[in-house]
Amino acid sequence: MAHDGPILDLRAAQPSFDESGMAPVPVDLRLMPGDCAVVECRDYARATLFADLCCGMIALASGSVRFMGLDWTELGDRQFYALRGRIGRITRRESWLDLFGTHQNIILQQLHHTTRPTDDVVGEAMKLGLAFGFPGLPLTSPGRLSASDLARAACVRAFLGRPDLLVLEDISDMLPPDATVAFLEAITAARDRGAAVMWFARHAASWTDYRSAVNVHLRLLDEGLFPVRGV
Amino acid sequence: MTGGAVAPTPSDTPEGSQPGVRPGGLRGRLMPILARIRPGLARVGRLTRHQVRFMLVLIGAAWGVVRESMRPNSWRRTVREEFRQCLRQVVGGGFLSTIVTATLAGLMVVSQAVYWLGFAGMAQMTGSILVSVLVREISPVLVGIILLGRSGMLVLTEIGILTLGGQIRALQAQGMDPFLLLVLPRTCAFMVGGFTLGILFATNALLMGFIITHASGVITTSVWTFFANVLGAMSSWDFLVIPLKFILVGFFVGLGACMTGLLVDADDTIATLMPRGFARGIMTVMVVNILFTLGG
Repeated sequence: MAHDGPILDLRAAQPSFDESGMAPVPVDLRLMPGDCAVVECRDYARATLFADLCCGMIALASGSVRFMGLDWTELGDRQFYALRGRIGRITRRESWLDLFGTHQNIILQQLHHTTRPTDDVVGEAMKLGLAFGFPGLPLTSPGRLSASDLARAACVRAFLGRPDLLVLEDISDMLPPDATVAFLEAITAARDRGAAVMWFARHAASWTDYRSAVNVHLRLLDEGLFPVRGV
Repeated sequence: MTGGAVAPTPSDTPEGSQPGVRPGGLRGRLMPILARIRPGLARVGRLTRHQVRFMLVLIGAAWGVVRESMRPNSWRRTVREEFRQCLRQVVGGGFLSTIVTATLAGLMVVSQAVYWLGFAGMAQMTGSILVSVLVREISPVLVGIILLGRSGMLVLTEIGILTLGGQIRALQAQGMDPFLLLVLPRTCAFMVGGFTLGILFATNALLMGFIITHASGVITTSVWTFFANVLGAMSSWDFLVIPLKFILVGFFVGLGACMTGLLVDADDTIATLMPRGFARGIMTVMVVNILFTLGG
């Protein structure tokens, strides 16, 4: 779905401290199609909470968070779940369901939100799996995979389909070096398609290879979100 | 300091009294009494709310399942697949237990009923007694307990672990409503499974009872006559109530297990979750049966 306005637009969004534990400071951020914002944050939990805020999962005390022009708080259940289906996300939170095989976990979001033929979804997932270093798609339960394989699988899941927003938490400590190029290529391909990318990084070293292509550089602290000069 | 009237400050009013309340008036006398009993009333209210909370959740969720199940858009392929898997687990997992329990129930209830009714010279009552005791009252309870033990506790554990582990929140982050993806298909699978196992249970129990009594010479009629007598003893209300009981027992056992799993507290563990889920499940089975018995 082509979208001319900002993909993600936070206007003085002040998270509710009681419900989230996030510092109640207003946050402003605007990501246009093709933007790549690197958000430096040393605290994984804080990064996850901020990612939740962008995905409309945290109540606001004031301000607004809009995704593709739609305010999360003004949407009904069906609409906001459908809209979240357009977000590709890598999270450090436990997100694998041991009820299914890893391959089903990977394609679950696409099968749920789209009417694409299953073979197409599986084919695309296989292609991404090969790019990220799998011999195909892992069929075993996620609980039996190593941390590095789970990181590869998380990348395949996030980039699968045509997400309009990528919210990528830092998994550089788990992602094997041979998958780094595929990760950066997938980001570039998504941006070329018009997706916006929010990439959380714990260390500058994890995104230094991509520095020249990053156009927004921010730092997430307890006191709020601050722009960093020099990108 | 200038003279003149000074507005009374709150400290000027008698202790415990409120502005606008005359100390000697009726309201003035009632207020201290109310203030004394208020903590007790609050305690009763808290306890009542806590006790009925799950029942209210169950009623609300039941309405949600009914409403969502009517929408074609709810039955996406992920939901359909979850329904298929759960139905296979409920029916496949409970099949053997149902057959064994029904056999035992048939041996005990049918043979005893036939023997003693024959002894009392009331053999013509056999059909109606079997229908009202075994098929209408015992079968739904035992099927409910089988459903709860074989599949309900499994569902409760699965969903409880997902909730405690944060995977439910991760599902929501991917835009998948846990109610749609887990609760709706599983509840519907339990409903269909409850009906299937219930009919299997009732048929098998009657058949086993017939075989034993026929083998021991208490009954000399054919199996067709025996079943014709049982069916003849059923009223049109029975034809409605018996399947409905199986369906509703399955529905509420499944829904109760799913909702108990979804509504865990942060300090819950599997050790606290399982007994609570079992107690709620048994209570649900009993309440559904008792409501029908009272209604009938």
